[in-house]
Amino acid sequence: MRRVAPSLLLKLTGIGLLHITLFDDTYLRYVKAGLRPVLIASGVVLLLLGIAAAFSRAGREGHAHDGHDHSGTPSAAWLLLLPALSLLLFAPPALGAYTAARSGAKPVAVQKKGFDPLPATSPLPLTLTDFTKRVQQDRSRAILGRSVRLTGFVTPDAAGDGWYLTRIIFTCCAADSQTVKVHVHGSESPPADTWLAVTGTWHPAGTLGTRSAPAALDVQRVTPIARPVNAFTDDLPITPG
Amino acid sequence: MEKTDELVTLRESAAVVPVPSRPPVRRARRWPLGAAALLLAGATGVLLLGGTRWLDQPAVGAWRTVCLAITVQALPFLVLGTVLSGAINAFVPAGLFTRVLPKRAALAVPVAGVAGAVLPGCECASVPVADSLIRRGVTPAAAFAFLLSAPAVNPVVLTATAVAFPGNPAMIAARLLASLGTAAVMGWLWLWRGDEKWLRPALRHRHTGHAHGHSRRQEFLLAFQHDFLQAGGFLVLGAMAAATFDVAVPRAVLDAFSGTPWLAVLFLAGLAVLLAVCSEADAFVAASLTGFSPTARLAFMVVGPMVDLKLIALQAGTFGRAFAWRFCTATTVVAVAASALIGGALL
Repeated sequence: MRRVAPSLLLKLTGIGLLHITLFDDTYLRYVKAGLRPVLIASGVVLLLLGIAAAFSRAGREGHAHDGHDHSGTPSAAWLLLLPALSLLLFAPPALGAYTAARSGAKPVAVQKKGFDPLPATSPLPLTLTDFTKRVQQDRSRAILGRSVRLTGFVTPDAAGDGWYLTRIIFTCCAADSQTVKVHVHGSESPPADTWLAVTGTWHPAGTLGTRSAPAALDVQRVTPIARPVNAFTDDLPITPG
Repeated sequence: MEKTDELVTLRESAAVVPVPSRPPVRRARRWPLGAAALLLAGATGVLLLGGTRWLDQPAVGAWRTVCLAITVQALPFLVLGTVLSGAINAFVPAGLFTRVLPKRAALAVPVAGVAGAVLPGCECASVPVADSLIRRGVTPAAAFAFLLSAPAVNPVVLTATAVAFPGNPAMIAARLLASLGTAAVMGWLWLWRGDEKWLRPALRHRHTGHAHGHSRRQEFLLAFQHDFLQAGGFLVLGAMAAATFDVAVPRAVLDAFSGTPWLAVLFLAGLAVLLAVCSEADAFVAASLTGFSPTARLAFMVVGPMVDLKLIALQAGTFGRAFAWRFCTATTVVAVAASALIGGALL
């Protein structure tokens, strides 16, 4: 009976991995999209080896006294039950305002090759990173007076002055996330973690095109949206449906 | 249903406790009562609290998310590593490694260090392998170089490092060089100053390769099962510690350490020892420590696979306590020095 445990742990872990990758996009809360095939493969391998281990067990009762006994379950292994059950039953939530409020703003990379002219579309869809770059690095001041459309979720400002439109970006997984924030002026703060599309113009302060210009927006219109599929990338949102 | 099975299994494994006749590698087995209690508390906690508001607290939610993210991200690497090491264990002839090593110990050390690079596995697997290498006549110095380098510089770990530090090949090169350097220096240090007295005297004869009485397929399954479960368990433990650190420690505290270069290197080296993240996952943890200098993060990735809490326990069980504390102390010093030198030169 004791020998049931190892194969059970393998199978549960495998099923847990398959559960979050095969049927929906739950895995995107934790890791990047590119890892999906590898996760599915690992789930299948664990499941198959778990089944194989259960079958090969019958043939080797009585060999447990062999010098190097691989068959015991190391006690640490029981800890695997926690993520396995967590994946199967209570998948933890996506990161949100709590994490965003506690992390510093991601340093925006310096754009070396200069800026292309902004497309004529109005309002112009931009990522929070692109907006920040245009405000703080674009010497041509192309963003001045332009109506832009930004998307992200709401993080309340601890100081009580307006709120932040926020994206959390995974470098690799949820453990190494970084946060991009744009300060929003001119509207009451919606509840934390609400996903919004915000249309507005740059909030003038400091010198546009230098670090003294804040990444901030004077809001014209706020529209609630569904959480994008690619919530944790630095891209324009792909919304479901 | 699974719950019932698991309770029964636990009670049975608890009943097997008093088998301390061969403590070394089975050390883990001495604590099944503790593990059973921990698991019961954990599982009951999760089941009971599943429906309550407590789990919806943002801090608890963030902790669970980060903990699970580290685990999920690392699992494919762990599966790959343990499948390959299980296959090597079962299908590679046992005498091969002794045949290919040079006869001169001083030469065998760097060769064994480099050989560690082609054997994928994480540190939990490398301790028993190094132990069996010694028993098959490989000079201890070479086996220790292998022990230190294998978990740090194999392709699986280097791939994980490349994924964690995209567009930063210098970090991968620095990790490779600093780890190989530390392993070689520790091997030579053993030749120069080491004393076989420190090693556990009672040498039991053990097999890690294909054993008599098992089919190779069974041997592979058993090795995979054991290595994956053991490493997986420690991975979860490491993920929990890392998530706790991530959620509980305010950024201001980190910044206090990250400001001073020397302090940052020592702090992250100490953190690597405490967190005990599996070497196949530690690059991702290092990548998340964004406030620190690249050299400090390099120290985290060089020290982590060579010295950490679970390794100290494993080594004390396998080679003896007198050996473990000397070896781990020396390794930490050498690894920090190597990281500082190579990090300063490359990063």
